[in-house]
Amino acid sequence: MLIQLKGGRVIDPVNNRDGVGDVFIEDGRIVGNTEGRTPDEVHDVTGKIVMAGAIDVHSHIAGTNVTLGRQLMPELPLLAAEGGQPILPSPAALGSYATGIRYAEMGYTTVIEPAMIPTHAIEAQTELAAIPIIDTAGLVILGNDDYTLELLRGGRVKSDELKDYVAWTLSHSKAIGLKVINAGGSEAFKFNARTFDLDEEVPDYGVTSRGIVDAMQKAVADLGVPHPPHVHCNNLGIAGNVETAVATLEATQGLPIHFAHIQFYGYGDEGEKGFSSGAARLMEAVNKHKNATVDVGQVMFGQTITVSGDILRQFDGRRAANPKKWALNQGEGNGTGVVPYHYKSKSFVNAMQWAIGLEIFLLAQDPWRVLFSTDHPNGALFVRYPEIMHLLMDKDERARWLDGLPEAARQHSNLAEITRELTLSELAVITRGAPAKLLGLTDRGHLGPGAIADVAVYTEQKNKTKMFSAADFVFKAGNLVVRKGNVVRVTWGRCYHVEPGFDAQIEKRVKAYYDRYFGVDPSWFGVTDAVTHRPDRFATIPLKS
Amino acid sequence: MSALKKAQGRRLNLDSALERAAELLARARFPLFGGLFTDIDGATAALALAQKLGGVIDHAASSGHLRATRVMRETGATPASYGEVRNRTDTIVVIGKSPLTRDPELLKKLFPGEPGLPRPGKNKRELILLGLDKPSASTMPKGVPTTAINGKASLPDLVALLAAATREGRFDIRDKALRAQLEAAGKRLRNSAFAVFVYDPAELNEPVLHTVLETVRHLVKTTRAATFSLAAPGNGDGVNLCATWTCGLPVRTSFARKVPENNLWAYDTGRLLKSGEADALVWIDALEGEPVERPKDAPKGAPAIVLTSKPAKAGRGDVVIQVGCAARDHDAALYLPPIAGIGVVKAAKPNKDNPTVAEVLNRIAELIESKGLGKKGAA
Repeated sequence: MLIQLKGGRVIDPVNNRDGVGDVFIEDGRIVGNTEGRTPDEVHDVTGKIVMAGAIDVHSHIAGTNVTLGRQLMPELPLLAAEGGQPILPSPAALGSYATGIRYAEMGYTTVIEPAMIPTHAIEAQTELAAIPIIDTAGLVILGNDDYTLELLRGGRVKSDELKDYVAWTLSHSKAIGLKVINAGGSEAFKFNARTFDLDEEVPDYGVTSRGIVDAMQKAVADLGVPHPPHVHCNNLGIAGNVETAVATLEATQGLPIHFAHIQFYGYGDEGEKGFSSGAARLMEAVNKHKNATVDVGQVMFGQTITVSGDILRQFDGRRAANPKKWALNQGEGNGTGVVPYHYKSKSFVNAMQWAIGLEIFLLAQDPWRVLFSTDHPNGALFVRYPEIMHLLMDKDERARWLDGLPEAARQHSNLAEITRELTLSELAVITRGAPAKLLGLTDRGHLGPGAIADVAVYTEQKNKTKMFSAADFVFKAGNLVVRKGNVVRVTWGRCYHVEPGFDAQIEKRVKAYYDRYFGVDPSWFGVTDAVTHRPDRFATIPLKS
Repeated sequence: MSALKKAQGRRLNLDSALERAAELLARARFPLFGGLFTDIDGATAALALAQKLGGVIDHAASSGHLRATRVMRETGATPASYGEVRNRTDTIVVIGKSPLTRDPELLKKLFPGEPGLPRPGKNKRELILLGLDKPSASTMPKGVPTTAINGKASLPDLVALLAAATREGRFDIRDKALRAQLEAAGKRLRNSAFAVFVYDPAELNEPVLHTVLETVRHLVKTTRAATFSLAAPGNGDGVNLCATWTCGLPVRTSFARKVPENNLWAYDTGRLLKSGEADALVWIDALEGEPVERPKDAPKGAPAIVLTSKPAKAGRGDVVIQVGCAARDHDAALYLPPIAGIGVVKAAKPNKDNPTVAEVLNRIAELIESKGLGKKGAA
């Protein structure tokens, strides 16, 4: 069946397209030349904006960590709704089903869960499979696990075995890429460290954080995994940590790397409060290091919960828990910490965090390397995305928000001086084209012929919050799933992953290792197609040649 | 009878049982999905049907787990995985009798005898038993210094006293030997590099769970500490996780209103049947082990639909559907304590004679749908 989206303004920066025209869909794909053919279905989208479906590169939507947060704080959606956030006041509003529905309504069609625990990959993948409509993929965490650290012991890298181990882990969990969270820091926490820096050695193992990240970058590059290591640096959330982020960037030696939720590393320690914006310094370094991409991790005011494999940081963060409760799960590798948090516009630090995130977006010279995220739910719930898009695209809206912030925050932030407003095309880059390119999902994020027919249509209007809250139409793989901001059809998406090869010896070694230390057979936590009963659930993406 | 005819006969019986179950459930105002001794697929299907019908879900062995979950919602939690406890602790405190009753091999697993992963501190590993005597030598790990703190005091008292001793608080007891033991244990905990409290929440009430948690929180100000809770029987942890990612809440949740509602007292199987609030019961018992005892006080006339992998006696009006046993007849995703998460267990003796719990419940849902029966529950 040939579907025509007729007469909309098509924003497709990947294909240098910004103008009025048509988009054709057939058999779940975008098609090009349809001359002489009569479409079976025509949607008149005159005056509307047509974009590819949006892609979220970093959003905690599934797995043990997320569900630990749900267990700790089922009242989160109720508190958020009470505070005026656009969410249904029901514990189910952040459940798997509602997650897919709400993402789709906003025009999102692919979302990446960034923190699968290797031994808990089955839960993560089962939860992802329970999310309707959107496609998903998971990043699997290594870098604080004993097996990796043994291979890096004393800085003597057993690189071939590490490469095999990374490949085996990616394959075993059906992940699309590798996540490294506070490399070595969570392991140091197990030895009672309470802080951990880039050049500190992990107790007993004698390898530095820098050494772990470096080895992982090389392993991933050697394997040809399209998505580079997705790194959560040391010292998250600490005043003065911009220096850590810059040092980590400089340590990357030109190899591809992705830094997650960089806003949380944009902090200087100047001024009378010892907390200042490091956005300019950070973005100077990001702009210079063209091998690096980042996602922002924008903060928005209101109730949320922080969910992280950075257990060391979460342990420290427990003191700021609001409501006053927290859970730390000390498990294999990183473990997890969940700490409720309420960002307040009257708080100097929170206001600065909000401003720093926006500064980062707006100081980016290359939007292809500075991607949209809130690190959901850590900076803000994903339901807040439309408000952030509004702030990025409308300087008057920013001024309005700034007026409500503490005087000290306004003085210490440079946001008021930034007049840049992101264009629709730039927004399409940071929410579509760039995430697709970064993930190696080249069949999406654009509207060129052959692309998967994930399409979002919006009504252009000054109020961008309204515009992006409810898409007029969303097509997922060619199926009309959203109309006038409401889901009209529930479909089930696919999960993308890589299958890098490895020396079969690693399977024997890993089996012996788990048997000895855990009394466990690795097959117990290996993800297979049986995670769902949908036969086409998993799709392998090609490696770089 | 030929194998084919046998299979056909079974199929016919199954079809009519499914039809009857669909009719009963569609008529029910407030159906209860109980037992729930099933795998993740079965739990997913039960949740979906309960949501569809505006019913309620409960699990037959989750009382303790649910108390622990409520404590977590109130103040938090500090669990450690089995692997961390086994490999990296220097002090393990077993609280109460239940952990070793439920798993006599537990101590040998937690003290495996050969060196584990690198661990903090230089202490030799030690075991403290609180509220129980030393078990027989055959279940004890070799060469592990062990202190058993027991006596006339109740388990809650012992936990509170150990908490006080750990905080170096003052406490008044006449039993000098017990006092000395408690003070020594408190000192040991303060000097531990990683202490873990092992318990079965089914044996502890909420105030005791709070006390243990607060003791851990006191210790982590200066050192490392955690709790290790025995998993609930019958895949209780797995079913609860599944409920939580599905609707944001554990079992004992009702979908009768617009928003799902969790209440440990109100949505307890026994109470719902005794009071007659639940007017139909779906009882699911499809894991290895003894049959799970069904509440006997269901009011007359409340029909039960029993999905079981065990020999079952049908009451009058009951619909009994034989289902496959998860992890024996078919592969199953279950909560596996050694990985502290959900894993897959291959079928021990693959056998497709009977459908799975998920297949039965999904088929019932389809029948209700195709007949235009049923009502919409909470989202």
